[in-house]
Amino acid sequence: MVDNNRQQQWLERIFAATTFLAAFLVLAVIVSIFLSLFRESLPAMEKFGLWGFISATEWDPVGEVFGAATTLYGTLVTTALALIMAIPLSMGIAIFIAELCPPVLRPLIATATELLAAIPSIIYGMWGLFTFAPLMAEYVEPALQRTFGAIPLLGKLFSGVPLGIDILTTSIILSIMITPFIASIARDTFALTPPQLKESAYGIGATRWEVIRDVMIPHAKTGIFGGIIIAMGRALGETMAVAFVLGNRHAIATSLFDASATITVTLANEFTEADSDLYLSALFYLALILLSMNFIVLALAKTVLARSKQG
Amino acid sequence: MAEAVLVVNDLNFYYNGTVQAVKGLSMTVERHSVTALIGPSGCGKTTFLRCINRMHDLYPGHRYEGEIIFEGSNLLCRKDITALRSRIGMVFQKPTPFPMSIADNIAYGLKLQGIKNRAELADRVEAALKQAALWEEVADRLKQPASGLSGGQQQRLVIARALAVQPDIILFDEPTSALDPISTSKIEELMVELKKDVTIIIVTHNMQQAARISDRTAFMYMGELIEVDATDKMFTNPARQLTEDYITGRFG
Repeated sequence: MVDNNRQQQWLERIFAATTFLAAFLVLAVIVSIFLSLFRESLPAMEKFGLWGFISATEWDPVGEVFGAATTLYGTLVTTALALIMAIPLSMGIAIFIAELCPPVLRPLIATATELLAAIPSIIYGMWGLFTFAPLMAEYVEPALQRTFGAIPLLGKLFSGVPLGIDILTTSIILSIMITPFIASIARDTFALTPPQLKESAYGIGATRWEVIRDVMIPHAKTGIFGGIIIAMGRALGETMAVAFVLGNRHAIATSLFDASATITVTLANEFTEADSDLYLSALFYLALILLSMNFIVLALAKTVLARSKQG
Repeated sequence: MAEAVLVVNDLNFYYNGTVQAVKGLSMTVERHSVTALIGPSGCGKTTFLRCINRMHDLYPGHRYEGEIIFEGSNLLCRKDITALRSRIGMVFQKPTPFPMSIADNIAYGLKLQGIKNRAELADRVEAALKQAALWEEVADRLKQPASGLSGGQQQRLVIARALAVQPDIILFDEPTSALDPISTSKIEELMVELKKDVTIIIVTHNMQQAARISDRTAFMYMGELIEVDATDKMFTNPARQLTEDYITGRFG
């Protein structure tokens, strides 16, 4: 009896230690990645500083002058445009599936949306380069240029030679890639709206659209926000698809038809070419900035979510 | 007999096209009265209640037969369901405040009706909150989220919201079964008070509640209306044995 008890205590302890180890491993991996990136970026950090690196637009491997502004700009602009396109699209999909879709069609459309997330990003890249970019170059972009090109200021966004390998094409492909994340999380949170809450709104004379706008969306806004943050992280870090269609050009683009570069694509393309220590270190520095950016986004999101739960 | 606000004639209701939940129900609901619907779980009283504001129309597979005469026509044939529902309010078991401020909860139905004038909205919000005996408790925090109120306050807020659009009828589906005794008695007092403005139909599992607040009581069993009469008579001298058995707690 006593033996049995002692044996059980041991098992308990081993079990607790195992779970602790598993949890600790996650922390250890994150900290060690951070530390190693930091160590490798030290030479570039010492040479350019933080603000000097982020604000400089020059990326000259031969002259060994490195600035992150162009790639940072490319990353932020493509992500922002992708979100601008993906959020309304995803809301439409989620609302349709949750509220308007005939029950027979529902699983079909829901599965199709999720399959979109299962397509490997290299395939998006190939499709983008060989199918989508030529379509953009031949039809969509010339049409946009004809329509908006002559308008002052706005026209600038549509200037240049429409080659299809540019910010617009990249943002559209990114938006297709992140749509399923926002849409499926939004749909799940819509489905969690208590039926009686919806019925209450119908009960005082709201139409279907008014119930969706005034009850379902506010009720689901925390979940929708979470989905957007996940999608944003995905877009910031996407490499393969972007590498095919963005053109890898280190310059601040002013037109949607300009090629650009993101941090991830620069890293993927240039590690093999990095022939000096400083070049290599600058690439690590870029990686560190990307990782920090993702951390900040996540931290901000957590704060907002925590605050909205209190209120 | 007082003026009838609803006349139900041979109402049948089916879920999924075949499962009959209300069978041949006929009764009259008098204006400015409280009518209680009682009966064991699954007897069809909530289903009947939800026929009156066509709530079943939100879900596929429903089928109505018969007629419910309201404002001179059969409401089961009406096409303007949204307008109908603004005439017939509904309050549920659990309080359902909308995710917005206290004032906006009340103003919401009014805005749906196209009222935009701020002063008028503020007046109607105040009037509805006073009518629901909630004004004193929330007057200084109208802009705060409704989710911060207690359960009983939320339920009175929901009643105020229903009152604000000035309906003819308010349907209550077990409105106090999720509340503590003090909140319950406040809501009961309120319902009796509201009789002068609206007609009330309430589904309740609480026999004492039905006896305390209702003028007439209808007893349903397995989809059928067994008996409907003045509450005093139902609880002292019902015509049917089944009613007596249920009221005295012999089953249910």
